Amino acid sequence: MSDAARAELVVDGFPGRRRPRWVELATSADHKDIGRILIGGSLGFLFIALIELLLMRLQLAIPENSFLSPVAFNRMLSDYGATAVFLFALPLALGLFYYVAPLQVGARGTALPRLGQIGVAMFAAGATVLYGAFLFTPSEAGVNPLAPLSELAFLSNNGVDVWATATGLVTLGFVLLAVDLLTTLRRMRAPGMAWRRVPVFSWAAAVSCWLMLVIGPVLLAALTMLMIDRNYDGIFFADGSGGAPLLWQHLSWIFFSGAYMLILVFALGTIAEIVAAFSGRPLQGRGVTMGSLAAIAVLGTLAWMQNMMTAPIGIGWMYFAMLMSLALIVPFGLVIFNLLSTLVGGALRMRAPLLFAFGAISAISIGLGAEIEQSMVGAAWQLKNTTDATAATHFALVGGAVFGGFAALHYWFPKMTGRTMGESLARISFWTMFAGVLVAFVPLFFAGAEQGQVIDAYKYFDGAGVDVYNLIASIGVLVLAIGIVLTLANAISSRVHGPEAGHDPWGGESLEWFALSPPEPHNFDVLPDVRSARPLRDIRTAIANRTQRPEQPARETQPVA
Amino acid sequence: MLWIGLVAAAIVIVAVNGALIYAMRRFRAERGAAPRPAAGGRRLQFRVAAALTVFAAAIFVLSVVFTDKAQQTPTTGADGLASAKVEPLTIKATGQQWLWRYDYPNGAFSYYKLVVPVDTAVELELVSTDVVHTWDVDELAGKRDAVPGKVNTILFRADEEGVYDGQSATLSGQAYAAMRTEVDVVSPQAYREFLASQEEEIESAQERVVGLIENGEVP
Repeated sequence: MSDAARAELVVDGFPGRRRPRWVELATSADHKDIGRILIGGSLGFLFIALIELLLMRLQLAIPENSFLSPVAFNRMLSDYGATAVFLFALPLALGLFYYVAPLQVGARGTALPRLGQIGVAMFAAGATVLYGAFLFTPSEAGVNPLAPLSELAFLSNNGVDVWATATGLVTLGFVLLAVDLLTTLRRMRAPGMAWRRVPVFSWAAAVSCWLMLVIGPVLLAALTMLMIDRNYDGIFFADGSGGAPLLWQHLSWIFFSGAYMLILVFALGTIAEIVAAFSGRPLQGRGVTMGSLAAIAVLGTLAWMQNMMTAPIGIGWMYFAMLMSLALIVPFGLVIFNLLSTLVGGALRMRAPLLFAFGAISAISIGLGAEIEQSMVGAAWQLKNTTDATAATHFALVGGAVFGGFAALHYWFPKMTGRTMGESLARISFWTMFAGVLVAFVPLFFAGAEQGQVIDAYKYFDGAGVDVYNLIASIGVLVLAIGIVLTLANAISSRVHGPEAGHDPWGGESLEWFALSPPEPHNFDVLPDVRSARPLRDIRTAIANRTQRPEQPARETQPVA
Repeated sequence: MLWIGLVAAAIVIVAVNGALIYAMRRFRAERGAAPRPAAGGRRLQFRVAAALTVFAAAIFVLSVVFTDKAQQTPTTGADGLASAKVEPLTIKATGQQWLWRYDYPNGAFSYYKLVVPVDTAVELELVSTDVVHTWDVDELAGKRDAVPGKVNTILFRADEEGVYDGQSATLSGQAYAAMRTEVDVVSPQAYREFLASQEEEIESAQERVVGLIENGEVP
């Protein structure tokens, strides 16, 4: 290249930044770009998961339906599970953590940006593998492909290999993202930001990253063994020859229980931020809440055998699982108590983020309330693998990932795009979703607990007494889906048409509201010294003190909105 | 014991959602609510934690008590099978894609339909020849998994004669939903007759096959 041509490429003093925007985004190692890809991608997969759920509910709307063949239903089920967990809930949580947490702790980037870049690429690769499988054979082995059904002897096509490859790639990506974010949170906090002053959401991010570092490799080990079994005559999960089918259950349930907790830790961390911002008072019991989030991650993962109450394990192990599950009542109860007691006695601004936070707390309380019964050994023998379990899990995870995720989306959308999401459409969407989740999953409690309808089945029989419940549930899922699509549409249109938001539309108190909306590539030009858990409030107070006249001392103790 | 969990869930759901509705109606900024200073401190947190611990411990203890009760070996009553007075009647249940096979003590077996005598302690030994299956006849007993290479047991006693429908409760492949079962609870007399006729039929079927082979009709 001649010197003249090289000179032409220099724009604003930076040479050669003339590539299309999507190439810039896809090759960026900036945590905000990676966060945006994860958030956008996961919302897209939420839409796909909804279509799969709707197709399954359409099959189950009437008894002995033949809309989907058993094989097609099992494929839908397997892809729905993988999409909802690995391509929607976990990447949405990690994407929001990855975008927001470095801003909240006042970092100018992440510590190991290349790892983040590889992580998001592995997420994209895993998603491509999972959906590329529609060209040949998706998995038929269910949400958690229990060995030996997932072994070559029983499913000889490539479906399970595809499932294992896809979830393995995605999980490895999550682990890399967790390494990067955790290093950032530990090493790159702003001056003065001790752990006790870290925002609750960033603390939740740190807890979730530790959790992912523990459970991710466990699943990767299990997937590796499954692949060896299937492709190289391995015997890890095969009966006889020294293998153990139950080994798969232990390893996979450690991951899935941990992932369940990760999503709830994410949701509760989000709600804590929103409740404090919209109630006009600081979060009550901050330290206790932060400790409880860590306890949830530990106890919840140790309760993995709660999923194995009917398996041939000793009764002592069942009591151990029950003890861990019921012990969760204490940290969950403390977090929710502190959220509620911050709300009661506050001055609530019922904007969309708070509304979705309310919905999340409500749905999570129903789901976890029902999980109590699922954890009690004697009751679990009746209720395990019935639609009662489906309903409990869906209340907790739709509450955590969808309502909690949407609360976070509405709250941080102005920071990411510089525009606020449409408020009236958000309200319509919220109430539709909330009605939908109740109508969809409450009937399944009755079908499971009263009539013992089993999970994962492609049909149920006439005269089983569950026809009405299933029909109502199918209608409810449709309503829920309409509500979710309204928010997705709102997000898409608000990116361009939403009302412009300044750097701090909600009167927030943590450092991300100190940056521009959207933030500069380097996040902050200058950083304030952090002297408390509410650095932005300190700045506002300081400004108010400087400009006020001496005869107004009362303003010193009042928060300045 | 389902009611314990039901009460616990109801307490949780009513308390949380009641507080949400109360906060939403009573503490709105646009209705003139002013934020109150934060109440309580470390002491309040300790009290709440203590209350939650008591709540969780109560559920745990009640569950252990009731689970123990459910675990106790049922005894064969006066109307039951005389030979099962001391040891429960042991029947082997084999899950295989996509049928349940039942092997009785005298060598007879049946598919799909399990016949047991009324008022008799029955021990079902669950095994599997292929993938994980879950035996689920919820009117008689709790669920248990049949896992290849392991033996899982269910103990139950049917107090009334009748037909009980059952199903499988773990995804086992294509015909999972159709992999159902049925338990016929009959009098000890009818049970013995069933075993005898089953044995006879199996023997005659085997003789027929042997005959066919001897005639050269079957290679």
